[in-house]
Amino acid sequence: MAKPAPRKPKKKVCLFCQEKLSYVDYKDTALLRKFISDRGKIRARRVTGNCTQHQRDVATAIKNAREMALLPYTSTAR
Amino acid sequence: MRRYEVMVILDPNTEERTVQPSLDQFLTVVKDGGGSVEKVDVWGRRRLSYDIAKKSEGIYAIIDLTAEPATVKELDRQLNLQESVLRTKVMRPEAH
Repeated sequence: MAKPAPRKPKKKVCLFCQEKLSYVDYKDTALLRKFISDRGKIRARRVTGNCTQHQRDVATAIKNAREMALLPYTSTAR
Repeated sequence: MRRYEVMVILDPNTEERTVQPSLDQFLTVVKDGGGSVEKVDVWGRRRLSYDIAKKSEGIYAIIDLTAEPATVKELDRQLNLQESVLRTKVMRPEAH
């Protein structure tokens, strides 16, 4: 029995590198909402596919937005 | 002189009309300090993600300005003393 071929996960490309955005704005909640779960948690890099630098920038922007009550710290869905 | 971006959350009980004049009054310290205010953008009433000082809404305003670091520090201090200001944030958009 031949082993099934290992799954090749599609390589995700960092959204910000693709769009050539240098600065992640903490005021842009519509964009930042793509990077948080429905519980309000920041999505991991393996989920978002961001590069190291941009994942960091996104995380900082989300934390800034949370301070100004633009995004929730926690949201009790369920 | 540096460029700054200041975000202010104001008390929702203040009237929408009085927001602009009261912001101008807060910003006199910038002009006195030799700085200039480029843009004042009032977002208006917006729901807060969580309650601040038992309020579930706030009036958001974004102010772009150029000033000396000490002037901005003083502006931030004065804003935090105001009863009608719920929260402030000073950012330097060019530092990134």
